[in-house]
Order: sequence, then C-alpha cells, then structure tokens
Amino acid sequence: MSDRVDLQEFVVGFVAEADELVSAATAQLLEIEAGNTAGVLRPKAVRDLFRGLHTIKGLAGMIGVEPIVVLAHALETVLRAADRAGGHLGSRSVSLAVQVVQAISERVRAVATGHIPEPAPEALLEALATINLTAAVAPPPPRASIPAWDQRMGAGERQQVMQAFAEGIPVYTVTFVPSEAQSAHGHTIATVRAALAALGELVKVAPRATPIGVAFDLLLATRADRAVVATAAATTDEAIVLIEPPAPAESAAIEDRAAAATSLPASPIEDTASTAVAAIGRAVVRVELSRLDDLQELLSSLVVSRFRLERELVVQAERGVDVRRLRELADRQSVQLRELRRAILRARMVRMSEVLDPLALVVRSLVRPGVKEVKLVVDAHDAEVDKAVADRILPAIVHLVRNAVDHAIESPDERVAAGKPRAGTVQVNCTNIGNRLELAIIDDGRGIDRAAVARRAGRAISDDGELLDVLTAPGFSTRDVISQVSGRGLGMDIVRRIAVSDLGGDLEVRSELGRGTTFTVRVPVTIAIVDVFSFALGAQSFVTPVATVDEIFELSDTLTHRPPSRAGTRAAVAMVERRGAVVSLVSLGELLAIHSTVPATKAIVVHRNGERLAFAVDRMLGRQEVVIRPIEDPLARRPGIAGATDLGDGRPTLVLDLVELGAGIARRHDPIIAAPRSS
Amino acid sequence: MSRFLVVDDSKLMRDMVAACLRPLGQVELEFAGSGLEAIERLALAAFDLVVLDLNMPDVGGLEVIEFVRAQDKLRSLPILVVTTRGDDESKQRVLGAGASGFLAKPFSPGQILQEVRRLLPVGAVP
Repeated sequence: MSDRVDLQEFVVGFVAEADELVSAATAQLLEIEAGNTAGVLRPKAVRDLFRGLHTIKGLAGMIGVEPIVVLAHALETVLRAADRAGGHLGSRSVSLAVQVVQAISERVRAVATGHIPEPAPEALLEALATINLTAAVAPPPPRASIPAWDQRMGAGERQQVMQAFAEGIPVYTVTFVPSEAQSAHGHTIATVRAALAALGELVKVAPRATPIGVAFDLLLATRADRAVVATAAATTDEAIVLIEPPAPAESAAIEDRAAAATSLPASPIEDTASTAVAAIGRAVVRVELSRLDDLQELLSSLVVSRFRLERELVVQAERGVDVRRLRELADRQSVQLRELRRAILRARMVRMSEVLDPLALVVRSLVRPGVKEVKLVVDAHDAEVDKAVADRILPAIVHLVRNAVDHAIESPDERVAAGKPRAGTVQVNCTNIGNRLELAIIDDGRGIDRAAVARRAGRAISDDGELLDVLTAPGFSTRDVISQVSGRGLGMDIVRRIAVSDLGGDLEVRSELGRGTTFTVRVPVTIAIVDVFSFALGAQSFVTPVATVDEIFELSDTLTHRPPSRAGTRAAVAMVERRGAVVSLVSLGELLAIHSTVPATKAIVVHRNGERLAFAVDRMLGRQEVVIRPIEDPLARRPGIAGATDLGDGRPTLVLDLVELGAGIARRHDPIIAAPRSS
Repeated sequence: MSRFLVVDDSKLMRDMVAACLRPLGQVELEFAGSGLEAIERLALAAFDLVVLDLNMPDVGGLEVIEFVRAQDKLRSLPILVVTTRGDDESKQRVLGAGASGFLAKPFSPGQILQEVRRLLPVGAVP
C-alpha cells in the first residue's frame, strides 16, 4: 500500500534527539538548583525545561514509547505551574525532576538497545502528583511597566526583565523587518534571533503586522553597544528603542535589595564563630562575568597603547633624544601591566569545590537503598579554574559521575559477594597542576570488561588508550552491550568533545576488571574566549575577531573597479570607494583558494598600518563568542591563521586574522595595485 | 505542484511529518523550526497548506494562527495543527482561533494523510 509509512525508521533519530534533550534538561535543572541555593529564580531555565519535556513527550508518543510519555507528561504539569509562578521551582520539585529525567534517560537507553522500556515508576509519579501546584504559585512578580510589551509577556518573562533592571542591564526593543533582500543576505528571523541571543538575554520575540507585511519585535537585555546590537540584528540604530526602567517606587525588586543591604550586621567581624559571618568577613562579592570581560577588554586597549608608546620611544631614541628616564618608566609599566593581567585572570577564577556542588544532587537522585548505595567523595583541595572553563567542563563531569553511579557500581549484594563494602564509592579529585586542571573520577565498581567491548566493537583492544577510543566513538554508546557488560556508554563521545575538542585538554581511562575505573580529564585553567563574526566562503565557514573589524558593508551598494588583466595574482585585487576614500578589495575566496559558486555579497574592512583593506566574502553568518584553540601542529601554523574553533557543528573552523592576512597581500600584491604590470 | 510549510521545533518531528506525507508524491515541502520562522516564511512566500505544531519557543502555534488569520491574504490558508496537547479544550481553542484541522500526536501516517486530503481542494493531491 502506498500510504504505509513506518515510523520505526526514526528510532535512531529519536534516541539522538532524546539524548540531547536529556542532557539539556540536566543542565537546566542544575542551573535552577544553583539558583535556588543563591536565592535567585531562573525563569528561562524553567521554561526551556518545560518545552524540552514537552518535545520528548511528543516524540516518544510518535515512536510509541508509552512510559516516557507518562513520565514527561507528569513533570510537564509541574513545570507549567512553575512557569506560571514566574519560574519558581522548589528544591523538592527539582529533586523529583532530576529523578524523572533520569528515568526517561534509562528508558531512552532501553529503546536504543532494542529492549522494551520498563513502565514509569509508580512511586515517582505519585510523588509528582503530591506537589501542591497551587502552593507553588508565588506572589505575582512586580509589574514592569513596559506599555509596548505588557500584553505580550508572561510572569516568567516579566521576572527576567525585572532582574535585568535590578542589575542595571539596559533593556531594548529591537525591530527586525524580514524581506526577500534580507533573507538573500542570510538575515532571517532565525539568524537575527540567534545573533541577539548571543549578546545577552533575549526575553521575548513577538511578531507584529505592518501595512507592508510583518515585523518582529525582540525584547533584549544586554550590556552590548547599540551599534553591536544593530549589526547583529541586521538593522539600523532607529530600530532599537531603549526601555526605561520603572521608577524606583514601583520596583519592589530594587527595594528588596536595598533593604537586604541595610540589614546586614554593622560589624560582622566580631562574631567569628559563625561560618556565615566569617564569609562576610572575607568580603566576598558576586560579580557578573560580563563585567570581568569588560575589564579584560579595557586591558587589551591598554596593551595596544603601550605598544604605541614603545614604538614612539624607539623613534625618539633614533632621533638622538635622551629617553633613559622614560625607558625606565615604560619598563616598569610593562611589569605592572603583566601583574594587572594576572590579577584580572585571578578574579575570574572560581573554586572547584563550589563548581562541583551539584554532583551531590546528581548522586542523591540515583541512589536507591538496597538497590544502589553510593558514597560520593569530592576532594577539590584549593583547585581553581576560570569561570568559563568551569561552565563548560561541569556537564562532562556530571556525565562521568552519573555513568559511574549508574553502571559501574554494583548492587549491594553483588558487592558483598565480591568482598567489597556494601556501598560503592565514587570519588572526584581535582588539583591544579601548572596551568592545567586535573580531574579524576574514580569508582570502585565492576571495571570495564575489555574483552566484551572488543567483541562488540569488532576490533582488538590491547590497552586503555584503545579502550577509550572505542568508548568515545560516536554511536558506540547505543549498543546494548555497554550498560550490561562494561558499564559504560552514555554520552562518552560528548565527554571527549567537551574535554578535548572544545577545551583543548585530554581524557584518559584506566580500568581494572572487578576493581574499578578511573577517568582523568585534564583541561587548561583558562581559555581564550573571543567575540567573532562568522562568515561563509564556498562550502566552508570561517570566523574573525570582532575587535579587528572596522566595518562590514554590502558589496552591491558600492561601485567596484577591477583593474584590467592581472594574470598570475591569486587574490584578485579591486578598488572600491568607501566613505570618500579608495579601499583595496581582496577576494578572500581566491586568496585562500576556495571555490565558490555564488558571488560575494559582503566585504569585511580591517585596518592595517593606517590603511583600510576590504575582504570580500560570500555572506555573513552571524556573531558569537567562541573558544579559540591555538594550532599546535607546526606544519599547520601559518601567518593569518590565529587558531581554530568549533562553531557547534563538530568541525574545526579556522580563526582568520585578516590584518595579518592583509600583510601577506600587501607583500605580494603591492606592486600590482600601484602599477599593474603584465606577466 | 502544491507547496506545504511544516512547522515544528523538533527536527525529528519535521522529518516524521515529511515521511508521513511522502505518499502524496509531488508536494514541495518547506520547513520552519519555530513559530517566528513560520510567520516570516508565510509573509514572504505563498503556500497551499501549513502543518503546525503548538508548543514552540517565543511564538507558539496558537499565536501563529491568530497572526495569520488577521491578515487578509492568509485568511483562507489551510492550517493543520498537530500537537501533543490533544485534549478537547486545546482542540476547541485551536479551532476557535481559526485552525482548519486538528490532529493529536501521536498520529499515524494514515491519519495525517487523510486530514491533508480533506483540507485541500479535490484533485490538488493524489
């Protein structure tokens, strides 16, 4: 029959998407729990979690996995109420939610391995049903009076705006008008939304009918410059409207904060017995990461002026001026700059003991008396790591700990029979070694059965290195042998991606059958995060740091003049007129020998030695923050290539230093621009 | 040739809908991953039918319907809502807002084909 379609062909796709949703849900729950500890609501995480559960439910329904539908539905009900209460999800609800997500994850595994998933645990469903949804309805959050948005915002969104106001973050309405021309240049509501979301907190997007069609209003809280916002939204400054915060009298959130500040003990240091007071005595302040980023940016401009000073000193010295005293001062300033840089890096450090806090929650949700008993030991010494690294590495550590509890630790009876203590131990050690952070996740469970893994993988495994290769191969985890025999699987490829590809670290495994397994992760303590523009050339993507870019303009808007016949040049150089000056325009595609079938639409302008140079590219893709990894292979290192990064598609993307590439052009092509010669 | 817009924030769900519609043969399918994208596509191009999910970030399916129905040129565009919220209340609300058809997830390929055929003029699709 022609109408027959078998949806079972989508089981593999289901497992992949459900795995992703489960990972996202875990991260959102950790964020909410961290918020609860700090006394801050996380309305966006609650809403995203709700939506994720809803999607899992829909997909599971289509594939016909009833237990997952039931579990997702039960949690969804709780989360919908939480969203309506402005994002309030109590600790007990979070605990239950962690168990639901875990139960879903187990059933996804069952589907992946061709088993029939177990029914949803009744006790868990009953516990969820007893959560008093009406009690969760917190007092309505303070009303932000934003006339243009009042009708279009829910309680959670209102809460987000109030939080931004309370933290002094500017809130804007940005308007994007879609058109054929915009979408031909790669600007659609999807790309604009993503670009704006990367700049701050995108609270809400709403469509609006206009006489000529449709416009989108985007409500954005960001500290970014208006010009940056305009570029990201592919629009002009007029399309950005700043929203004034309500007067202080209306803003209960701000008042609360002030009240809390004045109610602090006047002289906290006297009572040193209480640890809480001791913490105040240590004078700890919470600082938003973006403020530290600002500091770092200011430092970079200071370093640039320092170079200028240095150059000027050399010039003056060459002219015979006595600069000895100045030289002394300049040298001292150098040292001070280095110290300032170190101080800023130190300010970005967070204690691993705090970062690893959520692990207790994860383990607690997996332990079942009599079935699975586990003791978690976290030994973080005084290890510290850059906040940006901490945020990235935590999900990988959660994966590893979860796997250890879930699969490696045997049942109490099994353990006693093997002469081990009833309760298993999962230990997380971390230490700073030089400029690296070493994390070891050690369990005293059953160990990995290499022979079984080898049989399944269809290749010989002679050492732990090869074992790791197999365990972290994408897709390997979906095979049934893992959870039953080796006790490993879930998302090991993701762990490797985070530790190795994203952070430039390494991952090791040592396992002894019957004795336990140790995973060791080593990552750099700091990473370089850079704000970049991404663009396309042919089938490839590249990025270049925003800081080096003067402007980006449409090529169709400008008159281009190509000098006649310049055979032998690889990067065609043309001239364009830009703001009354002539600028050399280089085809980046031809320069990098990348074949492109479409004409270039945009040009990126950089400054080099006081001259402007434009690079033509196929189209702009957006703007985002990326982690830049240096290229360590000396054969791959070239001037103009500042490193590599991952835009999220798992493929390495080159970071181009256009200023440096421009130097290459000038060396090769200067004579051609000045006086075209025939070859 | 008919042109459909399939709107769902799950790629897998879009793929499944596409697979279900495969027996229709010569139908051109376009996809949107959010309500926002759907509104944009509908403003810029002409479609014969929309398959629409309800629960999506920023702008949900219900808002898409309300938005579309407020525009003269889209007033009679067939919109088939497919949703996990299959209860009667949701159904009444969706149809009240101006959806042309309502299908609860999970649905079978046969069910969605039947609905699509019902919503299009006779002879538009096999």
